[in-house]
Amino acid sequence: MRILWIESTMPGEAVRLSGSKMGRLAELVQTGSNVPRAFAVTVEAFRDQMTKTGLDALIDAEMASLDPEDSPAVEAAGDRIRGAIVTTPLLEAIEADIVESYEELSDRCSDLNVPTAVRSSATGEDGNDSSFAGIFDTFLGVAGADNVVDAVRGCWASLFSPRAVAYRAQRGISHHDMPMAVGVVELVQARASGVAFSIHPVTGKSDRIVIEANWGFGEAVVQGLVTPDNFEVGKADMRILRGTINDKTVVSAFDFAAGRVSETAMPERLRQRACLDEEQVAAVADAVLSIERHYGYPVDVEWVLDRHRQPGGPISIVQSRPITVVEAQKQSASYDPMALANKYLFAKGT
Amino acid sequence: MANIISLDEFVTDEWYPGFKPEFGVQSSYVEPFQTFKKEDEERFWFLDFHWPRGLTPLGLIWNEDGYTWGTQYAAEQLPLPPGRGIACRVAGVHTYGSPIDVPSGYEIGERAARMGPNLGNFLVNFEDIWATRREEVERGWQHFVQMDPSSMSLPELATMLWEARTYHKRAFEIHFEVMYPLLVNFLGFSGQCAEWGIDSSQIGKMLQGWDTKIMETDRELGKLSTAARNAGLRDTFLATDASALSTTLDAQGGSGGAWMTQFRDFLSVYGYRTEGSCDVALKPWIEDPTPALGMIKSYMQNDSDHDFEHALANAVAEREEAIDIARSQLSKEEQEGFDAGLAMCQKANFPWWQDDHNFYIDLKVSLPLRWAALAIAEKSGADNPEDGLYLFWPELAKVAEGNQDFGKLKGLIKDRRDYFDHWASRRSSMPKVLGTIPEGGITDPVLIEIFGLNEHFLNAVKAAASGEEMRVLTGVPASKGKVRGIARVLSNADLLHTLNPGDILVCESTSPNWTPAFAKIAACVCDGGGMLSHAAIVGREYGVPTVTAVGMATVVISDGDEVEVDGDTGTVTVFKKG
Repeated sequence: MRILWIESTMPGEAVRLSGSKMGRLAELVQTGSNVPRAFAVTVEAFRDQMTKTGLDALIDAEMASLDPEDSPAVEAAGDRIRGAIVTTPLLEAIEADIVESYEELSDRCSDLNVPTAVRSSATGEDGNDSSFAGIFDTFLGVAGADNVVDAVRGCWASLFSPRAVAYRAQRGISHHDMPMAVGVVELVQARASGVAFSIHPVTGKSDRIVIEANWGFGEAVVQGLVTPDNFEVGKADMRILRGTINDKTVVSAFDFAAGRVSETAMPERLRQRACLDEEQVAAVADAVLSIERHYGYPVDVEWVLDRHRQPGGPISIVQSRPITVVEAQKQSASYDPMALANKYLFAKGT
Repeated sequence: MANIISLDEFVTDEWYPGFKPEFGVQSSYVEPFQTFKKEDEERFWFLDFHWPRGLTPLGLIWNEDGYTWGTQYAAEQLPLPPGRGIACRVAGVHTYGSPIDVPSGYEIGERAARMGPNLGNFLVNFEDIWATRREEVERGWQHFVQMDPSSMSLPELATMLWEARTYHKRAFEIHFEVMYPLLVNFLGFSGQCAEWGIDSSQIGKMLQGWDTKIMETDRELGKLSTAARNAGLRDTFLATDASALSTTLDAQGGSGGAWMTQFRDFLSVYGYRTEGSCDVALKPWIEDPTPALGMIKSYMQNDSDHDFEHALANAVAEREEAIDIARSQLSKEEQEGFDAGLAMCQKANFPWWQDDHNFYIDLKVSLPLRWAALAIAEKSGADNPEDGLYLFWPELAKVAEGNQDFGKLKGLIKDRRDYFDHWASRRSSMPKVLGTIPEGGITDPVLIEIFGLNEHFLNAVKAAASGEEMRVLTGVPASKGKVRGIARVLSNADLLHTLNPGDILVCESTSPNWTPAFAKIAACVCDGGGMLSHAAIVGREYGVPTVTAVGMATVVISDGDEVEVDGDTGTVTVFKKG
């Protein structure tokens, strides 16, 4: 099957058929999270396109003679492969399926040409072992069937960007082991978005949730283009432990002229304003905590606050993955001055 | 970077005219006081701040009883795991100290195992321990304060001198026996609080607002100022230099004379206090009340009296507020540990003791020695009783015991006064540190907290030693670890191929095409970003210490600067080439 809707994907099969990112989104539906409507162009569709159009043979020929240390050669080969992928017409059956599914998605969203996020969903991507964080392309705000089809090919092509090729070479992974599914996801109209961790991602403290937030779409946060607002929430009593409102200079916003989401300067009046209130912070914290509880391990998520959300309403979760940070030791309730001295004072000289 | 500061200039057996090296080995527990030797350059020495003019020959007894006995005795008794107290040397009349490290990891472990129960017992029983020690010091004090050295014979003065020395030495055993464990507890709790993100300046506030003997003295001075104001003496105070006030008020008679009677009553209780720490050369208020009168005068320069009650109430309110704010930022689990630690730190309260103990020890216990030394000199025909301060301890003891003709020392005393003046005038140009600046941190809690020899200080002296300028930037700690290296400031991913392994990448922010660089860089510093920006995720993935949201990193840091990136605290220390 070439198309899989996330709500009808079997959790056990999801990652194998739809790639890591869409597979986990399908699993997220099962957790009861508020997940945007979406379908995946499956691994099978990718394989069909690669094998039946002769792209595979072309790629194998390029890769066979390639020295991974020779950066200019890697780059040139990548350029040629990506060029071939984005210009090779889709197999008729795949294209028809994508167009039909996109129209179905628009209908479900009560829209004519619903704006979508077209996301790469490689197998192994963002996995437990090797994180391909942000290595592959995502196209935000893609509307219209033709544009969606182009964006799907763009995602496939990003499997051969110089950085992806170099990354695989470093890790000893073959591109054959990483077939690329693509997700077509309803673009949630974001008032604010960001990321959230169910344990502290740096210190590993499991007593708190950490939330980073910016106005608009989440790209500026994920790409580190902005210093987001930061909140920590204690899990035991869901109290906000600290909130740091930063000067947010960049916003990812929908550019109607270009028909996509892009980064622009944050309007002056929003820069220093907290982009979440207390109720919204609590809602994000609740959402990430219930996902952690469902999976039984710490996670980070990308979340979106829909501009039409009312207090008490759900937060949209558009991505989730396990956190690999080592959990910190649990805080001891008693006071052991010698242990603290050994840790903070006497350890410095060694 | 130059980490060794030469001490060649100070390597000598010569010291004060007539000094013999054996004068410096009177009492020590681990390592005696000495003059500098060339091999001392391998160790780290810092200029002691207690004596801004320097020490007279008799002042050396503090180097012996305080440093080489008190700290070493206390560090061995506790025992302090990584150090055996403080060693000291002199350059001219100026004292340098150095930690005595325990070199063996096995020994440090064993010492820590022994210290654990001792520290626990000390903290739990602190109030009793300090009360008992304070009584001991007070008993000794009463013994000496009732003596009248001017009416004593030389043999009696010799006995007083030895008793005063024993008292002095014992006082500094007590001083460090209490100070080390109090400080260890305070610094351990502070370290925990820092990890919890509590600002270090707040920890002092959480422990303030309890009365000390020093505050009690200030209040009495405040009462005297009110009394003088009520007696219509304000104009006299404002018009008269503090050093002339007692003569003027006595001469004035009437309300001025009556007030002086009241002031002398105050001095008989609170006047046994020197204007600096631990130095026999310093006069107490009761000998020269100028400092006390100066403080009263400064209270009177305000239009109304200082409200001590209100100030204390404010301190208490500030304390409770600081505690509330700190607690509100802690998770429920952390609050339990915090409450237990704070309770212990308030009970065995280092900042409180740091003020209180000065009244009983530092500002006082050198006085019996001073009185004995002055009286011995006077009895022996000195032109100036303070000549006694220019004898080394063994010389003074011999004079008192009748085994040394004081008259024959007069020439030497004159030369030593000249020597003192010469070196006192060099004080401002004395190096702050000498020898080898340590690579790791310093672990002796007294040196960290009292002398401020923390990491920041060590970085600053290293930078100064190599003619660099140091700047500390802060950001979001995004990936753990601490690393030092050469900065490469990149504006664009095009230049990534120019990075060398071990470089520290400094940029505005990274995006996925920067990822391959993380395989070779030692650390990453970004102007923007947070905990989940690309650089943060990849930094954690690759185990590369990363600090994001530094703001001005690409402006402040230049290509080739040496930088230290601390991904635990979010600090970036920049050493700019001079």
